[in-house]
Amino acid sequence: QIIRTFRIETRKASKAVARRKNWKKFGNSEFDAPGPNVATTTVSDDVFMTFITSKEDLNCQEEEDPMNKLKGQKIVSCRICKGDHWTTRCPYKDTLGPMQKELAEQLGLSTGEKEKLPGAHLGGSGHTWAHLGSWGAHLRPHLRAADDNATIRVTNLSEDTRETDLQELFRPFGSISRIYLAKDKTTGQSKVTWAPHLGTPGHALPPPQVFIQVFPQGFAFISFHRREDAARAIAGVSGFGYDHLILNVEWAK
Amino acid sequence: PILLQGHERSITQIKYNREGDLLFTVAKDPIVNVWYSVNGERLGTYNGHTGAVWCVDADWDTRHVLTGSADNSCRLWDCETGKQLALVKTSSAVRTCGFDFGGNIIMFSTDKQMGYQCFVSFFDLRDPSQIENNEPYMKIPCSDSKITSAVWGPLGEFIIAGHENGELNQFSAKSGEQLSNVKEHTKQINDIQTSRDMTMFITASKDNTAKLFDCTSLEHLKTFRTERPVNSAALSPIFDHVVLGGGQEAMDVTTTSTRIGKFEARFFHLAFEEEFGRVKGHFGPINSVAFHPDGKSYSSGGEDGYVRIHYFDPQYFEFEFEA
Repeated sequence: QIIRTFRIETRKASKAVARRKNWKKFGNSEFDAPGPNVATTTVSDDVFMTFITSKEDLNCQEEEDPMNKLKGQKIVSCRICKGDHWTTRCPYKDTLGPMQKELAEQLGLSTGEKEKLPGAHLGGSGHTWAHLGSWGAHLRPHLRAADDNATIRVTNLSEDTRETDLQELFRPFGSISRIYLAKDKTTGQSKVTWAPHLGTPGHALPPPQVFIQVFPQGFAFISFHRREDAARAIAGVSGFGYDHLILNVEWAK
Repeated sequence: PILLQGHERSITQIKYNREGDLLFTVAKDPIVNVWYSVNGERLGTYNGHTGAVWCVDADWDTRHVLTGSADNSCRLWDCETGKQLALVKTSSAVRTCGFDFGGNIIMFSTDKQMGYQCFVSFFDLRDPSQIENNEPYMKIPCSDSKITSAVWGPLGEFIIAGHENGELNQFSAKSGEQLSNVKEHTKQINDIQTSRDMTMFITASKDNTAKLFDCTSLEHLKTFRTERPVNSAALSPIFDHVVLGGGQEAMDVTTTSTRIGKFEARFFHLAFEEEFGRVKGHFGPINSVAFHPDGKSYSSGGEDGYVRIHYFDPQYFEFEFEA
């Protein structure tokens, strides 16, 4: 059902402007009816200006990240907990070692277990912090890169959303400490299962002959350095139309 | 924003008339469109050109429209009826054109093409014989770098021309002599727009910057830096804001080409030279931007052939730049 709202405005204008409003249409519009012609004029969805609060952050981001990576690099790195010691000398090698393997398997299979997941992911996108995610952060709190109070969850992402898109979308609100984009284990794509013949997922399904389960759309966690930035990101992106879907943004409880 | 789909090829220039109620748009197709800026309703088209139209201008009382095209002609139209009033044949494509502030004198520049030099021609409309016999009262040759953009200076005393090599020149409209010359840009100047009071103008260049100059002295005042060629720049009539519309680096195309609506108009603070906002929406590089004379909206025309009229939301008016 399409609902069209028209707003009728009465405006005061100078005589010349008012006169021009009554000019007869000519050229290719000669036979057009009064009012906008749908073939030439359409009203698009609202687009708001994205404000850039700190320009140097925006520009320097690409330049400084590699620098940071260099600074933070340790010469010796343990494979289990990423500490600055050899793997065989890792204090947690009896406990964390096997647990790490288990977690890795679990992460690949689970779909909606968001509580476990902030920050942990497979597939390697170049992050330097603990591969274990919450485990590493728990045992080595000074390595916890992201503040969980400044983490937001974005859902209803389209399947070809990439981390760089999320970077672009959320960067204006403040500096991001990490992005976790949920990926499907087998395809490596953001989680999407599309059942187009049923219409838009999420809406009430018509009584189906065959039961088909529609999985939730892609989601991601974005952690900011500052909580106020995260708050503004929620306000700013929630409800935003991005690549044919309306994004849902809230605190990652 | 209101989307105007009146062109089938990429937009080359858009311009508001003095009061801002009409928006003229031209593109690489032969159609010249005029729209009501309040709701995007098309008023009409000026039909006659047979090639890409590079430039458009309207006189101060919106009676005449001037267009220059790659079909080697500069045409004068009656704004209200769409009738073609005059046709000036040229030996090469007309790249830029404009009425002086009184609406009596037209100037246009022609490209350096096929053996023909680049010229700026001046016609006085009050003397019909000039147009009839195709005899401009003055013709200024520019031998080196061709003129890529030109505007009238204040009070119709001189024109300011931007060249392919980044040079800026002032030519007297009475004598044709070169009054002043500066070279601040390193690459082609794509667009020049003056401030509302005509004391300053902003240039958009392929060297990834836009620069602000004083109209009379050509003193370089400010620079706005981006990472992409700037195709067009405009000055807000009510705030210290500048809007830039640009292209995209070739290497970005492969990574972002599937992203829809990601080309942005970028807003900078005039004095601090810092970017403070972006507006997305175009499907291709932005070729022309213009502020509405009341500063409450702006329009942008893109490579995608769309023109977007964007009315600023309340946040824009409340925004205060923190230095």
